[in-house]
Amino acid sequence: MATARPGWSRRAQYGLFFSLIAVIAGIIVGLILLTMSLVAPHQFQRVRGAALDVTGPVAGALHEVSATAEGLFTGAGNYWDAANQNAGLKRERQAMLRRMVEAKAIFQENRQLKAVLQLREHERSTIAVGRIVGSSFNSPRRFAILSVGANDGVKIGMPVRSPDGLIGRIIDAGALASRVLLVSDHANIVPARLLRNGIPVIAQGRGDGTVDVRPLEVGRNPFKRGDIIITSGTGGLYPPLVAIARVVKLDDDGAVALPLADPATTSFAIVEPPFEPAAAASPGASSSAEVP
Amino acid sequence: MVRAALTPTRRIGKAPWRYARYVPAATVIAASLLASLPIISMSGWYPDFGYLVFVGWRLLRADPWPAWWAAPLGFVNDLFTGYPLGFSIALWSATMLVLDLIDRRTMWRDYRTEWVLAGVLIAIDEWLQWRIADLVGGAPPFSQMAPPVIISVCVFPLFAWMVSRIDAWRLGR
Repeated sequence: MATARPGWSRRAQYGLFFSLIAVIAGIIVGLILLTMSLVAPHQFQRVRGAALDVTGPVAGALHEVSATAEGLFTGAGNYWDAANQNAGLKRERQAMLRRMVEAKAIFQENRQLKAVLQLREHERSTIAVGRIVGSSFNSPRRFAILSVGANDGVKIGMPVRSPDGLIGRIIDAGALASRVLLVSDHANIVPARLLRNGIPVIAQGRGDGTVDVRPLEVGRNPFKRGDIIITSGTGGLYPPLVAIARVVKLDDDGAVALPLADPATTSFAIVEPPFEPAAAASPGASSSAEVP
Repeated sequence: MVRAALTPTRRIGKAPWRYARYVPAATVIAASLLASLPIISMSGWYPDFGYLVFVGWRLLRADPWPAWWAAPLGFVNDLFTGYPLGFSIALWSATMLVLDLIDRRTMWRDYRTEWVLAGVLIAIDEWLQWRIADLVGGAPPFSQMAPPVIISVCVFPLFAWMVSRIDAWRLGR
């Protein structure tokens, strides 16, 4: 279909015409699929999962290579200035030991108080442990590829965390790999609170690797630099008391925070069952928009 | 074409590769697969590789593939990049149509015209991605889209050069 008129040949003219029709059909089919995947994202779960199964293991293998190369460089870097580092770490360890004894005492007291109140304790179980092997590095959305999938019991809607903090939740699950909606995505809204004083806040991704935190009650800005934001467990999707982010910058009525679990450097990602199983059944309960 | 015919280094017995017809589409799919590289970036500034190669081929030749192949190629790109399904199908088909219309209008072309053309297409691609992310509430402020557009436009010549090298190789030149 390069030129307006290919000559006098009827055959060539028809060929041109039909290829024009085919392209227009392609546009229409694309628009219909796009509308469907925006309105009813769950319809394409299987085909998206299959694509993840193709790329996930490849990314995992390549990730091993790049992680080894990176480890060589950072490993060499650790020897630089080792004596000073050692002294600093020893001081830190002493301080940590004292804090740990305090924490253990508080933990015991807490358990006794809970026993008195007869609170039902949610046991925290692990569905699967995987590695972050890729990300949506060419899109305004913030997704990551996780190296475990439905074969390991991973289902859509499950929260993902690392030992450092919350990473996000599963939105596509293939058999061998799955896709995670990171906390730094703009569509991911996490009910949270301040660790310092328990003020309820809302954490929403900013799309550039940081998180926007706002207090639920309008009024004085409750944030200080260095504040830790933890999940509150409201909504039932994310488990409570998981660290999310650290405040790095204040603005008018909220603050910008940096997620504590950096997907680029985190070694393990732990997939957990939804805190309240009912929350996963209704995607709207996570107080966020539907995600394609 | 003309310049290639004038080069004296052409040897006898060289012919297009047997599967030369499928090479352009294969390179587009390979570029889409780059999305599964283990790059963990929190900024999203990397270019849309599949689209860059797609536009690169289409600007180099009027018929690198039958026009309707744009839809399946877009489908592959959607699957591997995690875009909402149907986005690249519609956009890539529309790109074929628009570039055909432009082919009719333009009397002549040079390297800079093609770069500007590709730049406009890339900007439209990034804007649409932002617009669709906005529809589902996942879009960052629009100002954050400037770096990926600029980066993509700047690396386009590199992709166009690679495409022209592959084209020469597949035709046995």
